[in-house]
Amino acid sequence: MVKKIFCLFWFLLVLVVLPAAEARVYLDINTPTFVQIPIVLSKWKGADTTPPGLPLKIYEILANDLTLSGFFKVIDFNRLPNPLKGKTGIPTTVSLAEWGPSGGEILLVGETAWKPGDPVVKIKFHLFDLVEQKHMVGKQYEGIPQALRKMVHRVADEVVLQLTGEQGVHNTKIAFANGRGEGKEICVCDFDGAEMKQITHNQSINLSPAWSPDGKKIVFTSYLRRNPDLYVMDPDGQSFRRLTSYSGLNAAPAWSPDGKKISLMMGMTGKSDIYTIDADGNNPKRLTTGHGNEASPTWSPDGRQIAFVSDRSGSPQIYIMGTDGSNVRRLTFEGGYNTTPSWSPKGDRIAYCGRVEGRYEIFTIGIDGTGLQRLTSNAGNNESPYWSPDGRYLAFSSTRSGGSKIFTMNANGLNQRPLTSAKGGESSPAWSRRLE
Amino acid sequence: MSKKSLVVLFMILCLGLFLVGCPKKSVVKEEPSTKQAAEAAAERERAARLEAEKIAKEKEAREKELARIREEEAKKAKEKEFERSLVGKREAGIAGEVFESKLLKDVHFDFDRYDIRPADTDILKENAALLMQYPKVKIQVEGHCDERGTNEYNLALGERRANSVRSYMISLGVSSDRISTISYGEERPLVSGHNEEAWAKNRRGHLVIVSK
Repeated sequence: MVKKIFCLFWFLLVLVVLPAAEARVYLDINTPTFVQIPIVLSKWKGADTTPPGLPLKIYEILANDLTLSGFFKVIDFNRLPNPLKGKTGIPTTVSLAEWGPSGGEILLVGETAWKPGDPVVKIKFHLFDLVEQKHMVGKQYEGIPQALRKMVHRVADEVVLQLTGEQGVHNTKIAFANGRGEGKEICVCDFDGAEMKQITHNQSINLSPAWSPDGKKIVFTSYLRRNPDLYVMDPDGQSFRRLTSYSGLNAAPAWSPDGKKISLMMGMTGKSDIYTIDADGNNPKRLTTGHGNEASPTWSPDGRQIAFVSDRSGSPQIYIMGTDGSNVRRLTFEGGYNTTPSWSPKGDRIAYCGRVEGRYEIFTIGIDGTGLQRLTSNAGNNESPYWSPDGRYLAFSSTRSGGSKIFTMNANGLNQRPLTSAKGGESSPAWSRRLE
Repeated sequence: MSKKSLVVLFMILCLGLFLVGCPKKSVVKEEPSTKQAAEAAAERERAARLEAEKIAKEKEAREKELARIREEEAKKAKEKEFERSLVGKREAGIAGEVFESKLLKDVHFDFDRYDIRPADTDILKENAALLMQYPKVKIQVEGHCDERGTNEYNLALGERRANSVRSYMISLGVSSDRISTISYGEERPLVSGHNEEAWAKNRRGHLVIVSK
């Protein structure tokens, strides 16, 4: 524990070495016509004692992060003309005349210092606006070597903040169910697909992981005791315990934004209804009362409403209700099979899976029922969308490359890519908050 | 007494016997009493009838006994057949052992539906009859779905399918505390294909024995 606090302390130590320029939004991602910003990543430099692999590794993580963000066209130093190709580290002066041939509008330069045995890695970067010829930001991070990826992700988050007005989500994790054939285990990986970890090892059917709002717990369904019960554990798989064991279903949990309650599907009455329970598993309250099958609750970010699936009209559709079950209204009317809603963190839209001509596709819709957008098409079955904490991305599962795999995309449907290179069998992604 | 006289005496005695025996017969023959004859005949008939009845009754009882024995043997055989039909099933990561029996048959569902198909009601009647025969047996109905649609909605659908089977069997007289349910959604397909043939097989209510 002492060690943990120490790590955290070092990681949180951020030194701003140069004053940041006034924040300016370079990119309005909400405009449908937005064009990716060309950003030059010059070669990173290591200190004399630093193994040459380290700056290269940092460069690789950073370039991938910025590409994944969807906002940038990354110009790799290897593709720069001479003499720019050979420039490393942080220059003392930067001019458009010098960097114009790079084709970039933004320049990112950086250095690192560490030698084997050092407890701390140092990372320093600067960002320049080549068009306006001004320095945008410069920061230095220090942390233990094991926190290297996190530090680089913070650099990427900072770049995204400078250019879009909101911090990136590179320090987030995605949990999902994973398994081919018998059994599914819960896995967690970083936003960039790295650091993939299987956190259950019980060979049971483990489904629908959901993060607590503080990012410190994962709740999910497991058939360990021959009933779909809720279990909870830390994101590293520790402190595993059973949370509920009501008869019938205890499934598709969703933690309330204040962390005090969990909404879920329960089957106590012989069919699936939406309930809430306290975060300790007690005090079940039934919110839906009709004869329909109810599924997949998701909280509005203000914690006042729950969207869910009901087939009360004859086919599964998305509905919204108050958290006491009042004021139920139907949200979706297009199509005959709309399921797995996910409420956006900004509260304005709901993503869901809808069937079109026998295939399952990802849609988003305004919470007033207007502005329906289809984000996937003609690429396998696409299910279970889940918003990133900044509302700029969606994770979902897709069978476009064979087995079911987790993909991410920008909230407008661009930039669709697989999260990992795994072979498939992945389902039900859930995105964490930004993690420290 | 000479030998000759003995022979004569023997002949006389024989004659005498003849004369004594014959007249009686000739009396009945020659002087029949119709009333007496009818009575005798009736008596004989009654005796014969009683005898026949007795024999029939004994035969019936024997047959009944035989039938009872046969039935008992059949029941025992069936019991053995049921017991023999039980196949233990243990699954990694899921507590306990259940038993499957080919005598407890699956029912199937239409896509996105959970009502019992009319054609499948006979299957549930047979399943229920078997359960009535073995009052100690407890079962669990598993609700399964095909791979289409989302995992979570399929959990709800599987829950409803399992409960449809349960309700129907309760309506046939099976005690409610003998049937539990579990939804596996699309997580435990019977066959692995991605076509309607496979999907139709996977949309099922499957019965397992949780207690013998």
